[in-house]
Amino acid sequence: MTALDEPTLARLRTERLERVWAERSGLLGWLTTTNHKRIGLMFFFTALAFFLAGGVEALLIRTQLIGPNEHVLSPQAYNEAFTLHGVTMIFLFVVPISIGAFGNYLLPLMIGARDLAFPRLNAFSYWVYLAAGLFVYTGLAIGQAPDTGWFSYVPLASKQYSPGAGVDFYALGLIFTGVSSTATAINLIVTTFKLRAPGMSLNRMPLFCYAFLAVSFALLFALPPLTVATMLLELDRRLGFEFYDVTGGGLPLLWQHLFWIFGHPEVYIIILPAFGIATSIIPTFTRRRMVAFPLVAVAEILVAFIGFGVWVHHMFAVGLPTITTIYFAAASLVIVIPSGIQLFAWITTILTGTPIFKTPLLWILGFIVLFIVGGLSGIMFAAIPFDQQATDSYFVVAHFHYVIFGAAVFPILGGIYYWFPKVTGRMYHERWGQASFWLTFAGTMVTFFPMHVAGLEGMPRRVYTYASGAGWSGLNLTETLGAYLLAAGLLTMTVNLVASAFRGALAPDDPWHGDTLEWATTSPPPAYNFAVIPTVTSAYPLWDDADRVADRRRLARGEMVLAGGHEQPASTTLDAELDEILEMPSESPWPLFAALALAGVFVMLLTGHVAIALGFGAVAVALLACWHVWEPEGAA
Amino acid sequence: MSGAVAGEGAAAATERRTIANGVWGMALLIATETALFGTLIATYFYLRFSSPRWPPAGIAAPSVALPLALAGLLVLTTIPVTAAARASRRERAGTAIGLLAVALVLQAGYLAWQIVLFARDAGAVEPKATAYGSVYDTLLLVHHAHVALGLLLSLWLIARLARGVTPYRVVTADVVALYWVFVAVVGMAVTATVVSAA
Repeated sequence: MTALDEPTLARLRTERLERVWAERSGLLGWLTTTNHKRIGLMFFFTALAFFLAGGVEALLIRTQLIGPNEHVLSPQAYNEAFTLHGVTMIFLFVVPISIGAFGNYLLPLMIGARDLAFPRLNAFSYWVYLAAGLFVYTGLAIGQAPDTGWFSYVPLASKQYSPGAGVDFYALGLIFTGVSSTATAINLIVTTFKLRAPGMSLNRMPLFCYAFLAVSFALLFALPPLTVATMLLELDRRLGFEFYDVTGGGLPLLWQHLFWIFGHPEVYIIILPAFGIATSIIPTFTRRRMVAFPLVAVAEILVAFIGFGVWVHHMFAVGLPTITTIYFAAASLVIVIPSGIQLFAWITTILTGTPIFKTPLLWILGFIVLFIVGGLSGIMFAAIPFDQQATDSYFVVAHFHYVIFGAAVFPILGGIYYWFPKVTGRMYHERWGQASFWLTFAGTMVTFFPMHVAGLEGMPRRVYTYASGAGWSGLNLTETLGAYLLAAGLLTMTVNLVASAFRGALAPDDPWHGDTLEWATTSPPPAYNFAVIPTVTSAYPLWDDADRVADRRRLARGEMVLAGGHEQPASTTLDAELDEILEMPSESPWPLFAALALAGVFVMLLTGHVAIALGFGAVAVALLACWHVWEPEGAA
Repeated sequence: MSGAVAGEGAAAATERRTIANGVWGMALLIATETALFGTLIATYFYLRFSSPRWPPAGIAAPSVALPLALAGLLVLTTIPVTAAARASRRERAGTAIGLLAVALVLQAGYLAWQIVLFARDAGAVEPKATAYGSVYDTLLLVHHAHVALGLLLSLWLIARLARGVTPYRVVTADVVALYWVFVAVVGMAVTATVVSAA
């Protein structure tokens, strides 16, 4: 037999992997896919669609407020617009695009894995998310949109004051989306702990993964209070229970506690992925390792942890005992420390590196500026007397938009530019990319900074309109013009990326000389991610040239190619020593069917058909059983 | 159990040293479920300590001995369930099925008895009249729903083990055992909470 040369052997092995990991093409392939990258893309585009909806709602709000006594929206439509804007941006855009799109697509690539730990659960997460989003927006379509604000306080949200179905769409919709987020969180944690490439001990794991690990844990403990809060609200509204009704011994403040026990960790759930994206982009574009890597890793986890102890600072004005409010004021100051550690680490890394001001880094610099402004105004709310004066004013609106749009969304937008070549195999247009950043940054500042002033001058949040003599007209006009400037920036980005996806220059595997493993594979990555499971000997594996040479040799020798099936190595949790080889599931229709059955449960609960809802629940359980009939050769 | 081996991984696979993915998944589900029950129990005490009288006037204090005895029974059923998981690890499917069946009968009996008690209390503890009734019924119903789900899991496991032991089913047995331990502990916590009013 003739001996084959190394390139030929490598090609043959790669072709075998292509065959083993190939999924159906066409619509059926997308409906049954369990591939983390396809699911990540579905999360991405669905989240963008909801971002567009939330953005339109924002522009409607700002247009209504462009001048005093405007009538662009009716008061009811205005209430619905600001409620849906908040619910959409938080539950249907930022969280899904963070953990669902970025986490799904990138985390396995960064740790040298071929998929998530539970591929079918991953598909289920996506279909549940899509169904939940459509469920919430069905309320708008049938004229029953929620209208009580994103935190939907009782008694306003009670049946007595909100008799329509809007609050029911809100409450059931949030429980529904929580199923998706919980499933994704569990998947990301197990993937991070078990599927890291051999050699990637915890201290060599990218900071991006630490951030997503912290977020996933935070989700597991933050979502149950929201689920309980909304479940009790539905029991009050639909069955006449007495949790929040004072006439039966219930307490409206119970809602506020439960909501904010979820709500404040949610702020960190929103911004921690952004921190992870920043810690990916900064080393690449400053050509140096992150300053204080271990401290930043610990700080990411501490932020998530301490975030559970500050919720009462949202309730300083409700008359709680002073001793309680003082404790939470102190905790609200303490959380600045881990946030500050990360901030100083980013700044020091940039200052001591050799920054290359490409578009992704510009977004991160913008994020740092906006996070400092939003962070400083946030600290001010830890001062109880100031909080009591400024609460429910536009100052609060200014603060949280600096944090949520500036600190959370800017890195997401920077991340889209950063990983665009990897995902599409094309380069974006650099100048238009920079133009989109400056337009969006200017728009953000012009929109949200004057809100500080409007708030301090007494403008309350959520007002439908204002009198011409209130002294807020100029500020509101400026804010509205800023909102359109911001939208122009995002439109520029969209045009740039869409055009580049079709006509951009072909991207090499590693256009930025990045430091993490996703740049070790082709652009876009193949279905199996890596032809050979990568060698890892440091926290910056792509900068270890010898390891990459070793990978090519191992491919030729057939070591750790694992082409016998959907094979994936599992490692020990701390040291990432090879533990076993897992056979991963492939395409399956059951996650989609199970999600549809679950959607049936929620629709029937909404319409008050409890018995039919139970029937759909039984169908969902039966479908889960079908899902588990196929067994991998190895235990999973 | 030997580590899972497939294709080219045969040479690399060894006895698994870490927790299986499935067990990790269940442990994390239990973590989030613990937070859910913790929130419900915290709600109970928040309402209780905000109320001048608990239970409110006209509602009898809950009985203590029988609910605690039933909760103790549920805790005891974790012994055959965990033993079944051990038996499946040794590939003794018949023993595992027998142990699961014994546990299943006791757990189903527990749930049936709880439902009878719940129905008996329904007239006295009205959830639409007081916050006490609301939280009392909700706590118990959420717990009962978890027991019912556990019964389905056990039935599924018995059906699978009846077709033989595979590595995947061994992990399933571990997962189901872990779930029942959680349900039993939560059952004790819920019972302790509701009888505390006595």
